[in-house]
Amino acid sequence: MDLNIVMVLQDMVLAAIPAVGFALLFNVPKHSLGYCAMGGAIGHGLRFVLTHEGMRIEWATLIAATLVSFIGVYWARRLLAHPKVFTVAAIIPMIPGKPAFTAMLALFEISRSGFSTDLQATLTTNFLQMSFIVAALALGLAMPGLIYRKPII
Amino acid sequence: MTGGGAQDFTEPEQRKLTRLCMQTAQLLMQHGAESALVENVTVRMGEALGLEKIQLGITANALSLTTLTDEHCITTVRRNIDGGINMHVVTEVQRLMLRAERREITLGQVERQLNEIKPLHYNKWLLCVMIGLSCASFARLMGADWTSCAVAGVASALSMLVRLTLSIWHFNPMLNFTITAFVATSLAGLSVPLAIGEQPRMAMAASVLLLIPGYPLINAVSDMLKGYANTGLSRWIVALLLVLAASVGIFMALSLWKIKLWI
Repeated sequence: MDLNIVMVLQDMVLAAIPAVGFALLFNVPKHSLGYCAMGGAIGHGLRFVLTHEGMRIEWATLIAATLVSFIGVYWARRLLAHPKVFTVAAIIPMIPGKPAFTAMLALFEISRSGFSTDLQATLTTNFLQMSFIVAALALGLAMPGLIYRKPII
Repeated sequence: MTGGGAQDFTEPEQRKLTRLCMQTAQLLMQHGAESALVENVTVRMGEALGLEKIQLGITANALSLTTLTDEHCITTVRRNIDGGINMHVVTEVQRLMLRAERREITLGQVERQLNEIKPLHYNKWLLCVMIGLSCASFARLMGADWTSCAVAGVASALSMLVRLTLSIWHFNPMLNFTITAFVATSLAGLSVPLAIGEQPRMAMAASVLLLIPGYPLINAVSDMLKGYANTGLSRWIVALLLVLAASVGIFMALSLWKIKLWI
């Protein structure tokens, strides 16, 4: 399936909604909500394009999270607020919910119906994928803090 | 007041400034700021108010702060009680510090404005609706059909209501997460026997995503990378326990209702 602008836009809109939802949950100031939405859309949209072009999801997540965190630094300087105010909500759409839940289901199934190599394989691959994506998100977000030595604002 | 550089203060004055610095640190720590930010803002606030040196010790449950001026030290320790993630408070405190640093406001104004900072809380119903929509979007991003998305949306909106109600009653957060995950999985799991939607598994996966402990996880990693291993570790453990608590709720629901999702 070829990548077209409609698919990317749909993905970005779908990612913007959870970014705002979680920003509300974190009690982000009202005027920052739009930036959270934009960050969410940019991050997930970029990851969507990169994985569609054949990049591994872990690398795509790392690149997208890093980009979002640097955009967050730019906004932080302009709006005088800590970058995490924008970026944590913005990376929420990239949280690996599906691998996490699949791993959990496999674990549950092993405990209910006994060990099988298939279930163990599902558990391990999904758990590893989840761990690497979470690590990529965390590392990507921490990137500006590791590179800039002075406080951002 | 607040002239440049270190000044000499009388003891009551220094006490007052120490209290202001501690209030700054406490507000930040209680509302989910990472340790590097807490230390940075507090130290700069103290310097802006004219103190010579400010030393802040951060642990997960308590803050200790020493201010130094004209060879006199004052140390104070405060309990740190979790006030819930509130980025509004963090932003306001940081902006106040920046204004004090630029000498735009006087000591009296700093004191008054610091006391005026109240946590912002969004409307409960707005939160439920938005979290419902968020989880529906998660389901769609995972590739579920629209009916399963609707299931995820309704299940998560209702479980968000449960979560908020329990947190208003000051339930233990772990117990809260277990109950909320149980409710979410049970509601989304209803779509299996009722045959609503084609991907009940994704509906269930998306409906529990409202329980992601985003800030504890991210702050834990940031803290550990920036040399605050002790607070980082305790944040990490809290986040892990919350995830574990949610998993317990999911397991209970799957096992109690005998939901079969595996082929």
